[in-house]
Amino acid sequence: MSDTTPTTSPTSVPELQDRLRAEGYLAGRGLATATFIGLRLGRPILLEGEVGVGKTELAKCLAKIHGRELIRLQCYEGIDTQQALYEWDYARQMLHVRALSERELNDAETTAGLYGTDFLLERPLLQAIRSGGKAVLLIDEIDRADDEFEAFLLELLSDFQITIPEVGTITATERPIVVLTSNRTRELHDALKRRCLYHWIGFPTIAEELDIVRLRVPDITEALVEQVVKAVHRLRDMDLAKPPGIAETLDWVDALGVVGTEQLDTETAADTLGSVIKDRDDLELVHAELDQVVADG
Amino acid sequence: MPNSTKSLPMADTSEITRPEHIVDRLVGFGHALRDRGLPVGSDDVLTFCAAVAELSPGDPNDVYWSGRTTLVHRRDHLPVYDEVFRTYFLHVPPPKGDTPNEERPVPQGATGTLDVPDSEPGDEPGDEQPLILGLQASSVDIKREKRFAACSPEELAHLRRIMARIRLEPPTRRTRRRATDPRGPVIDIRRMARDAMRLSDSSPALHRMDRKHRARPLVLILDVSGSMADHSRNLLQFAYSMRRAAQKVEVFCFGTRLTRITAALDRRSPDDAMRLAAARVLDWDGGTRIGESLDHFIRTWGRRGLSRGATIVICSDGLDRGSPALLADSMERLQRLSHRIIWMNPLIGNNVGESPNTLGMLAAGPFIDELASGHDLASLERFATRLPDIG
Repeated sequence: MSDTTPTTSPTSVPELQDRLRAEGYLAGRGLATATFIGLRLGRPILLEGEVGVGKTELAKCLAKIHGRELIRLQCYEGIDTQQALYEWDYARQMLHVRALSERELNDAETTAGLYGTDFLLERPLLQAIRSGGKAVLLIDEIDRADDEFEAFLLELLSDFQITIPEVGTITATERPIVVLTSNRTRELHDALKRRCLYHWIGFPTIAEELDIVRLRVPDITEALVEQVVKAVHRLRDMDLAKPPGIAETLDWVDALGVVGTEQLDTETAADTLGSVIKDRDDLELVHAELDQVVADG
Repeated sequence: MPNSTKSLPMADTSEITRPEHIVDRLVGFGHALRDRGLPVGSDDVLTFCAAVAELSPGDPNDVYWSGRTTLVHRRDHLPVYDEVFRTYFLHVPPPKGDTPNEERPVPQGATGTLDVPDSEPGDEPGDEQPLILGLQASSVDIKREKRFAACSPEELAHLRRIMARIRLEPPTRRTRRRATDPRGPVIDIRRMARDAMRLSDSSPALHRMDRKHRARPLVLILDVSGSMADHSRNLLQFAYSMRRAAQKVEVFCFGTRLTRITAALDRRSPDDAMRLAAARVLDWDGGTRIGESLDHFIRTWGRRGLSRGATIVICSDGLDRGSPALLADSMERLQRLSHRIIWMNPLIGNNVGESPNTLGMLAAGPFIDELASGHDLASLERFATRLPDIG
């Protein structure tokens, strides 16, 4: 959020890919096309996919390449409009009332002032509507919110306006870029999906993942990158409860960097396995077959 | 993030690039998808055309990806989309022997581990054959009258009607939200501020609030293997009633493999729901692999969070053909991924509290929070009324 001067939108899919790449994000043709269409048509982009494949990261990079502010709404069970939209700052209002009553000010104007924007606590959605074209709104893990919240979002995403009874209707002058992510813990409502452009992000191929690691961790030997990526792909084939995502691959490379190793062997792998496998049962399974995982070739 | 880029054979694209044909071709593609059962609306097609207009219609890659992002709304539909795209735009004949994803015929007279009456839920009521029912009844304990196995078709139909009326109160959990409660532990400062402003009273009365309660998710995992054949239909009916009564209910069936039937049970008519659900399940009256099925559940659904905070009800007799070690492992993980595990075992009958000594039950035993019966209507009703307390 260092730089908030909006820059122009990319005019073609390759340009978008290049600019994302400059921010360290490699987008495949499909993801780039979906994002590009979303930007051009002003539609929200719904990303589904395995954990740790870079759904959230895309929103962050979009904010960076557009020079916009990233506004993030993390969804959870039981989230309601107070946490997502706005809330009045009651404590401050009460103090203010007290101050007013001491000075015996009781006219309509001062009362109206109590519901001015000074006392309004903006939550992410209101913030995004106010910022409009200067924001990228990330609605993270929408599948964790309740159905009712989804219905409410549906309304918001179609009009980009909010009515606050005491203040009036606030409409976005320009639509923010909206990215929604879901881990598919439950099926989202079709109505919401229809509002969005849908893209499924799967695990990358070996070649793609090599590119990603080289881009994100430039100061690492080529041999080690290759060993790690191949090992991670073997892990993904292993039928684990939690197969490692790209985030885990990068963590592993970082961990190996901290240890200062040049070569991935059974011993260093065993020491650093915790950065890539995060489930006890999986750890046991992998430890038993570590030789095959780190094997060359 | 990179997605495995589809390598599309460069086909003759002159056909799509002729301007007068572009829109027709694109709209036709939408129809072709709809013919194959994908829910493609007119608005989707409009968006699709608008998207292609932003890109180059001559590039099959652009057409492929813009269609994929605008016309497909769920991952399961991707294979169908790919196939229709190939035949429609690239003129690649569809693979042979491919059946459309219509309702599959219910396997009739499926070979099972036990010779059992054909009590598939897909049948119309009254289809049960009394002759075989009689045989079946002799194999169950006659002393416990009116087990489902011993009922006549009319009685079963009657039971189903009663069951449809079972009032189910799902277990609840506390939420983040609060509501007014005079004995609640938290002070409602918002309300007090409102009062203070309205009544211009600097020391308003204390208002308190407490957490609200909401329905806890419920996951039903039903055994439909051969040994459970007498009960599976009724359990399915019970699941249907539950699904109707409470919001957050997920239903799975298993014999040798696990099938999710939640969506199928959402039909208004019970018969339709039963038929659809039955069509989804392909291993009626087959063998039982509880461990593997639960393992599958954990891997595909549990780890995504479906069972988090949920009450899980497993309905099975525990006659397992799979490995007991795997069953124990799966149960242990499931216990960690859920709130409570209730095991409903029709073999218990009225001896509640006594765990049947099948190998499966011995393996799963340590991880079960509550054992229930469910062999007859009364026990199901009892279970439904006790559910709020158990969960």
